[in-house]
Amino acid sequence: MATDISPFETEMKRGFLQVLILVLLERKMYGYSIVKNLEKKGYLIEENTLYPLLRRLEKKGLIKSQWDVSEKRPRKFYVITKKGMDVRRQLLSIWHRQNEILTHVLEENKNA
Amino acid sequence: MHDKLRKYLEKISHYLAAVSGKEEILNEIKSHILEKSEQEFGEINESAIDKVIAHYGSPRKVAEKYMEGFEIIAPSFKGYLIRYTGILFAIHFSLTMLAFIFRANFLVLPFFYIPSIDSFPELFYLPMSFVFDLGLAGIILYFVTQSRKDVRLPWINLNINWQKMIQNRQTKSRLIPFILMLLGYSGLVWVFLRFNTLFFKTISFQKAESLLTPAASQWYSSALLALLGVGLAGYAIKFLNTSEWVNLLRSGLQLVILGIIINKPIEAPFLKFPYLNLSLIANIIITIVVVLIAVDFLKSLIILGRTALFKRSLQNNSSSGRQK
Repeated sequence: MATDISPFETEMKRGFLQVLILVLLERKMYGYSIVKNLEKKGYLIEENTLYPLLRRLEKKGLIKSQWDVSEKRPRKFYVITKKGMDVRRQLLSIWHRQNEILTHVLEENKNA
Repeated sequence: MHDKLRKYLEKISHYLAAVSGKEEILNEIKSHILEKSEQEFGEINESAIDKVIAHYGSPRKVAEKYMEGFEIIAPSFKGYLIRYTGILFAIHFSLTMLAFIFRANFLVLPFFYIPSIDSFPELFYLPMSFVFDLGLAGIILYFVTQSRKDVRLPWINLNINWQKMIQNRQTKSRLIPFILMLLGYSGLVWVFLRFNTLFFKTISFQKAESLLTPAASQWYSSALLALLGVGLAGYAIKFLNTSEWVNLLRSGLQLVILGIIINKPIEAPFLKFPYLNLSLIANIIITIVVVLIAVDFLKSLIILGRTALFKRSLQNNSSSGRQK
């Protein structure tokens, strides 16, 4: 029987999603458009996870939001802040480094 | 607004009571549900909203996602809630017993005041004090959690093997000890019926003489039989049910009987007896019995508390595993 990896996947997703949102919000987007955009890329995200995450990132000053009421339905748009860009740069650098380490270890295992 | 959407948002709002910016959160959820209904089902109607809501998740689950990191008591302190409540209640319980025995008020600053009250109101006072102790421990741990500091909470490690202790206390009764106890108890009942007392000055069937006055003999012997009878009944019940609740009920009832004995003293119960102060000896014996049974009662409470906590943490673990 295959092992259920969903708990491990959730742990991995937690950090990844933060970086992903910070990368995605280079341009203004609203919640539903984020969900659909990621869905097209093959990444499924639960709405009830996305909005609280956006709220946490906004509270930390990494993104900012504004309601757009010009359309027939009000939409809350999010975009990355300067602080968010700085954090994103550092997180991406950590992520690249982690990737390198993992690749290196896998290579070592292959050659062992 | 659509009825189902309004009700759904109302429910989320209920669970978001402690979260700031509630209106903003609800507006965003509403906007998302309406947008998704229109985009994915062509129009906004009750059926489309119903499907989108079903996918969005239960109101409680949705609200809890906004509360991550805002625990009232940090998970690392939850075990201390039971530990500290247990200690506070043990102090409360002991002081109540002392107030009961010595018929005096007890004040131990800053938390404990036990007035000298009669036996039955005292019984009602105990659950109330338990709620107070739980609340007090909860408030302390709440402030420690909110301070967000790495606080190392004091705790004495008594190295108690709870598993073994629970196993010992919750084993099924055995037949031979039960028969022996039943025979002993029947013997005591026979002696009481025959001589009207269980407290003898001399051990001689021809010239049996009671230590106590006739009224005191009747009263204290009946009380002793009741005390032992409850113990025997508790042992008998454990043939069928080995739950800790049986132990709690048994020691609880025995404490009630002791409370009645202490609170209804008979004037000058002892016949004259040279050399010994029998009242003092009797008081010492009763105090020791009260302490022993009270300790047993507390053990049952602690075991039941620990078991409930352990079961809850197991349920939490399995449900969080399922959610993920």
